[in-house]
Amino acid sequence: MGMKLDLRSINRCVRCGTCRSVCPVFEESGWESANTRGRILVMKGLANGLEADKEVQDSLNTCTTCGICTEKCPAGINPPQMVEEARRELAASGIMTAEQSDLSRRIYGSGNTFGERTRRLAWLSDRSRLESKSDYVYFVGCMNSYRYTETAMNSFALLSKFGVTMLPDEQCCGSPLLRTGFSAARLVDANVRQMKQIGARTIITGCAGCYTTLKNSYPADIRVQSIPEFLAEHISELDIKPLPIKVTYHDPCHLGRHNRIFEQPRRVIEAVCGLLEMKAARENARCCGGGGGVRSGYPDLSLRMAKRRLLDVPEGVDYIVTSCPLCIRNLRDAGAGEKVIDLVDLVARATSLPK
Amino acid sequence: MSGTLEALREIFGSRVSASLAERYCYASDASQEQGMPDYVVRPENVQEVSRLLKFCSEHQIPVTPRGAGTGLAGGASPVHGGVVLDMSGMCKIVEIDIVNLQVIVQPGVVADRLNSALRPHGFFFPPDPGSSAMCTIGGMISNNSSGMRSVKYGTTKNYLLDLEVVLADGRIIRTGSKVLKSSAGYDLTRLFAGAEGTLGVITEAGLKIAPLPRSRKLVLTCFPDAETAGRAVISVFSAGITPSACEILDRLTCRVLKSCDPNIAVPDDGDVILFEVDGPQNSTEEEALQIAEICRPQSLSVRVADSRKEMDEIWAARKLVGAAISRLDPTKTRIYMGEDVGVPISRIPSLIKKVQQISAKLDIPAMKFGHIGDGNLHVALFIDVMDEVQWCKLRLAVDRIHRAALDLGGTVSSEHGIGLARAEYLPEQLGEETLQVMRSIKKAIDPANILNPGKLGL
Repeated sequence: MGMKLDLRSINRCVRCGTCRSVCPVFEESGWESANTRGRILVMKGLANGLEADKEVQDSLNTCTTCGICTEKCPAGINPPQMVEEARRELAASGIMTAEQSDLSRRIYGSGNTFGERTRRLAWLSDRSRLESKSDYVYFVGCMNSYRYTETAMNSFALLSKFGVTMLPDEQCCGSPLLRTGFSAARLVDANVRQMKQIGARTIITGCAGCYTTLKNSYPADIRVQSIPEFLAEHISELDIKPLPIKVTYHDPCHLGRHNRIFEQPRRVIEAVCGLLEMKAARENARCCGGGGGVRSGYPDLSLRMAKRRLLDVPEGVDYIVTSCPLCIRNLRDAGAGEKVIDLVDLVARATSLPK
Repeated sequence: MSGTLEALREIFGSRVSASLAERYCYASDASQEQGMPDYVVRPENVQEVSRLLKFCSEHQIPVTPRGAGTGLAGGASPVHGGVVLDMSGMCKIVEIDIVNLQVIVQPGVVADRLNSALRPHGFFFPPDPGSSAMCTIGGMISNNSSGMRSVKYGTTKNYLLDLEVVLADGRIIRTGSKVLKSSAGYDLTRLFAGAEGTLGVITEAGLKIAPLPRSRKLVLTCFPDAETAGRAVISVFSAGITPSACEILDRLTCRVLKSCDPNIAVPDDGDVILFEVDGPQNSTEEEALQIAEICRPQSLSVRVADSRKEMDEIWAARKLVGAAISRLDPTKTRIYMGEDVGVPISRIPSLIKKVQQISAKLDIPAMKFGHIGDGNLHVALFIDVMDEVQWCKLRLAVDRIHRAALDLGGTVSSEHGIGLARAEYLPEQLGEETLQVMRSIKKAIDPANILNPGKLGL
């Protein structure tokens, strides 16, 4: 008895191999099971009763859901969606790797991806700055709450000028759970409840992972905006003093390809300094390897992908700017260090922000 | 078989897999032919290939070489099990030797990558299959691939100078040298081309390259029917013009093209011929105008595409149109069967008519497009793969299309290969005695029949 999967989509794949030429995981691995065509074959196998052993799980779990295969697929299918569906089916039958079950336990237990017990807003020196009512909420995300708190501070400093507040007890958006096959209903409910109490209709986030989750897995009446979109909209009000530097921009997959936010971050950068494009940019941008649960499940593979992404950086740039803390972590750890910065931190350097 | 796995690990280290997931992924190429391998190995050098074949010869284990697995006839499907030899990891461009007009490459080099490397030197490797973004040179040689530009530039065979080949018993031979022509003995280089890995495993290739044309022009013409279009093509050749591409697209193909990219300005009210000419600027301009003049009296419309961008978009869409049908109807999947027939060019209109009749009679829709300049018609049949009745009709249609091509003095495969999918037609196409000669050659070189057994009707 096989697993219930979307056979319609599986059958649309003609195995032409176009995805093979662009899959960033396959670029590192070289094994057919580590590219999209292979993963779809594995799904077909599962639908026909193939046993979901470790290698089958590796095939599905090594996908970063970067979506470059969707971009190129001549048959027009959406493999990241299919991969996530297969992960959900497996997890629902109790089939998961130790890393997957650890991750889910951590998030369910602590409300954040690290299992941190400290307060999420510990970086905020003065909680009285939080308005109890507002139309706009800044959603910080786990990474910026616990790891890149300076980015969180800069983001809030920029946004609070426009009356944006935060959730008093923000929970993980649910992205790591949804990407790896689990339900995030409890977290979604907790965040939505607080949105309602504040009376906010728009939620603004500086994390590409949070953005795509808020956009696709939260109630449709919540308006979701990324920080690059918000900054681009308010560019003339930011009082930017241009900097004499050159930077490049790394498109986070879940902001760019998945949500077509290509122009806004570039407009903001160009208001601050010079921009040189990476060798592969916009819809063709190479994934940094940090998404889809690959960083936590397969750290070596993930870092190899980030190293390759760094080869796309043009010469003569002072910074690699991006707008996703997962990308920042992976690219930094792959050797680029402090040269990788968040768009918000670039803007902060060009404006005088209240601390 | 545990002894085999150990022996393979001895040769390949971690680059061997016996996992179910991996074997499942290597069980087929892009065709409908399948066979579960017992092992998959990914060599990095010729010595590893040699050691593998020596071992497999001694133990009578089938070996199926594979490039990117984009083949459409089951050439890389391990239908007798054994070992799949994934050559795509041997992907170095060994030497770009411009002064001798050639390159030396490993078989796993992807066609487009080779051309990206040659472009700065002002040269290119002309064979251009639709799968050029992913297919490997080794696979192209083994199937004698070509594409839209073969009408002027010929097929992969025409560019082979030298091959390094590992024979079934592990011996390593070279079939040529760096000289651009040679008249010394049997032409073993071209024997291995199109052999689909049944005679040896190619581990290196010396390839002739050509200077990049300085300009291209594209003429889009539309005719009321395929016969009129076919006559126009003959008139263009008769006027002394050899187009660098000469493609026919039927109405349905044009509709699918437009559904992929609504900006593509291809007419869809008749049979379209895309003529491309390449060469020096003044000659392409003159030839494009000449083609337009020749076609105008019989055509519904004629237009010369003037921007490079538009030409690139049209060719990019044309290259991938085969798989794109499910964008128009998500319940339909393109099935690559009966997709590569070829006939003498004067017979193309008759072939198109026959295919139309077959498709109408069996109620299996078909897109028809292809290289009218060299007689190669790609028929794209598409069905709901969850419907068994449609599968039966499809198989009937495929058989009829193959036989129609043979009746017109044609071939069941022009550029995709025979593999297993078309093997049954070889006795009819080549004749039993010719096939016997092929069998004798196979037996002389691979007496234990370990190399890609079950293919080519051998």
